[in-house]
Amino acid sequence: MKRFVLLLVPGLLAAQTGQNLILDPATLLKPATDAWPTYNGDYTGKRFSPLRQINQQTVKQLTPAWIYRAQAGPGFNTIVGGTGPDAPPVAGRENSFGGLQIKATPLMLNGVLYFASPDNAWAVDAHSGKELWHYFWKTTGGIHIGNRGVGIYGNWLFFETPDDYLVSLDARTGKERWHIQIADVKQEYFSTPAPIIIGNHVMVGTGGDTLDVPGFLESVDPETGAMQWKWWSEPLKKGDPGSETWPNEASMRHGGGMTWMPGTYDPQLKLYYIGTGNPQPVETGHGREGDNLWTCSIVALNVETGKIAWYYQVSPHDTHDWDATQTPILIDGTFDGKPRKLIAQASRNGYYFLLDRTNGEHLLTSKFIETMNWSNGVNAKGQPIPNPGKESTIDGVLVSPNSTGATNWPAPSFDPETGLFYVDTNETFSVFYLTDTDPQPEGYAAAERNAGGMGNTLRALDYKTGKTVWKHKYPGGGGSAGILTTAGHLLFTGDGAQNLIAFDPATGKILWHAGLAANVVNGPETYMLDGQQYLVVGAGDSLYAFTVSQ
Amino acid sequence: MFRQDRILIAAMLLSMPLAAQEQPRMRRPGGGAGMDYREYDAATLERGKAAFVANCGFCHGANAKGGESGPDLVRSVVVIDDENGNLIAPIVHGGRQAQGMPKIDVNDKQLTDIVAFLHEGVRAAAERGTYKLLNIVTGNAKAGEAYFNGAGKCNTCHSVTGDLKGIGAKYDPVALTSRFLMPVGGRPGHRNTSPIEVTVTQANGRVVKGTLERIDDFTVSITDSDGNYRSFTRNGDVPKVVLKDPAQAHFDLLEKYTDAEMHNLTAYLVTLK
Repeated sequence: MKRFVLLLVPGLLAAQTGQNLILDPATLLKPATDAWPTYNGDYTGKRFSPLRQINQQTVKQLTPAWIYRAQAGPGFNTIVGGTGPDAPPVAGRENSFGGLQIKATPLMLNGVLYFASPDNAWAVDAHSGKELWHYFWKTTGGIHIGNRGVGIYGNWLFFETPDDYLVSLDARTGKERWHIQIADVKQEYFSTPAPIIIGNHVMVGTGGDTLDVPGFLESVDPETGAMQWKWWSEPLKKGDPGSETWPNEASMRHGGGMTWMPGTYDPQLKLYYIGTGNPQPVETGHGREGDNLWTCSIVALNVETGKIAWYYQVSPHDTHDWDATQTPILIDGTFDGKPRKLIAQASRNGYYFLLDRTNGEHLLTSKFIETMNWSNGVNAKGQPIPNPGKESTIDGVLVSPNSTGATNWPAPSFDPETGLFYVDTNETFSVFYLTDTDPQPEGYAAAERNAGGMGNTLRALDYKTGKTVWKHKYPGGGGSAGILTTAGHLLFTGDGAQNLIAFDPATGKILWHAGLAANVVNGPETYMLDGQQYLVVGAGDSLYAFTVSQ
Repeated sequence: MFRQDRILIAAMLLSMPLAAQEQPRMRRPGGGAGMDYREYDAATLERGKAAFVANCGFCHGANAKGGESGPDLVRSVVVIDDENGNLIAPIVHGGRQAQGMPKIDVNDKQLTDIVAFLHEGVRAAAERGTYKLLNIVTGNAKAGEAYFNGAGKCNTCHSVTGDLKGIGAKYDPVALTSRFLMPVGGRPGHRNTSPIEVTVTQANGRVVKGTLERIDDFTVSITDSDGNYRSFTRNGDVPKVVLKDPAQAHFDLLEKYTDAEMHNLTAYLVTLK
């Protein structure tokens, strides 16, 4: 199978006819200006835009250009696909997560925005906010917590569904080309990532924490949906590398390590970097004694073969649901005075990590929240040493941060002009109570009771030291917004009080804000269209576009 | 590998569904799972457990989590994908010679009950919102009392014969622990505890006092001492806004509690019936 696929490479895009493909693959290799062609805007994960029409001088004139309100579910002109019943398995499933939330970062190509929510995908005119098509997938189940968006290859769009299908649409019409099942929803897998397309590889990951299942990442042929390779988040059998970090085969084959966030990519090294999720059972280490590779790790995979080039585990033997899936950002910078190809992650466990991305060499570990209480420091490799006394017990242990973590999936950003790594942080506490005392526990095996905390803070970290250079605590609490920085010396994000805010990325001073009808729930993006720079954010069920008058 | 499994399963689907009567699927509030699980009555589950222990427990363990020679069935893909016995029945009736599993001689009624028992095991793992907490009262009540009146300084604001009288009867131990760790819930204007006191000093020196309704970087809203709702635009430090939260001590303690102090305090407070 693999050989067959490799033979196809010289004929890249050959199967798509027409002179003007929506995405020219070369677009993916440069910073986004007149396009936003992949989840993070480019492969580096920086979410830094070189655009500067909207800048510190013009930001005060930033005004709404249009608002698009999405409606999920079958409508008048909806294209319907999917294998589920006409009536969803559970009425109001969407509402269990507060209604439709546009967590996707829309792609923008040739004046059209493409995005998804659980079971839905849309194309919207990027000039006017008018809907071009809407596709709805009839679901068979799965947790409908969110969808990070679509990927595009030529004219072909790809998105994942909560019931674990990869669906390919024709971006021009919204008509379905094919769908393939990538995991079994009955095993409580559910899929939220935006597929990342590299060459002719569609990177497809998944999630799911409750039935002790193994994580994996698949590379899929964009033309046919055929699997090119599959990388499992755990060793497959005893004796394989990494198996020494598990007590037995059963534990590693049920060990979690989900791949629910898009990764980053270095085209020179041909390595795809992905952060993996927590081990399972989730909130106890019983039955899985050891470090539990390759859960809670930053992993570098060869994009052609799916073979692991290197890994760095940021939470050995995690017992608090701290997935290490936060975007690992590629930084070309200096460390100890030498130019280095770096990779940085502010991880859910509350530590910032800086590595050499050519080989995974550890360079720096630094705490970025003050309340953290679960670690006995770091070992010689810079990895946190979990305090066994903070693993769930029947009578409860008080842990900071809570399982949502010091930060979570909302996109961080790196601004090469300030040299600062920006991350939204939470200082929370929870009590973890062990509920499953069996020597072989199942599922989460523990219950968590939130105990509040000190609030939510936007932080700017020096990428070389991890030290907080400035921070802004939201007086009314934070939200769940990603971050965008721009060459206009602006940082855009949202708070928990429905405000879209522009900060000075050097100082943290607020320069502008707009009150929206809901909290920003995705990562803001920007692009140039007909000489006009647009800023687009998803807040609740709507996309908001802003421009400055010329 | 997965796709091959699907083909196998598709072939197995041809076998007859076992139970004619289908239990309703439902979603338990706060269960947190992605699938809807069937609801079985207690009698069925009890019979199923007894039949399982008698016929299957020797190899698969009494709780179906695996034993000396049989795999964990709660984590079994066959069990998870099974619909009313359609995948389980052929294995029970036919055995799995290659893996050393003999045919098991159970009647249809017993098998239906065993299937129910196994599915309930899957549901119980998947729906984490339904996990039952065990006895969390392990602390020393005397030490808890000492902490209440000493290091915790709880008695500065609270009295066990006043506002906390009977608190141990009002809440179960888990709720009681959550309550003393963080009594504050809801946004400022709708808190379940005493409101936050606000002093707003305007640029002209005028001072307005009230209780906090809402605050962000751009607006502060209060109910003033006359009961009127008032909002002020914030521009950096103008107007000057000072907040005083009567529950602040609870936030401060979060970083200080040891787990033993937390357990002891719970043990003490549950005695206040």
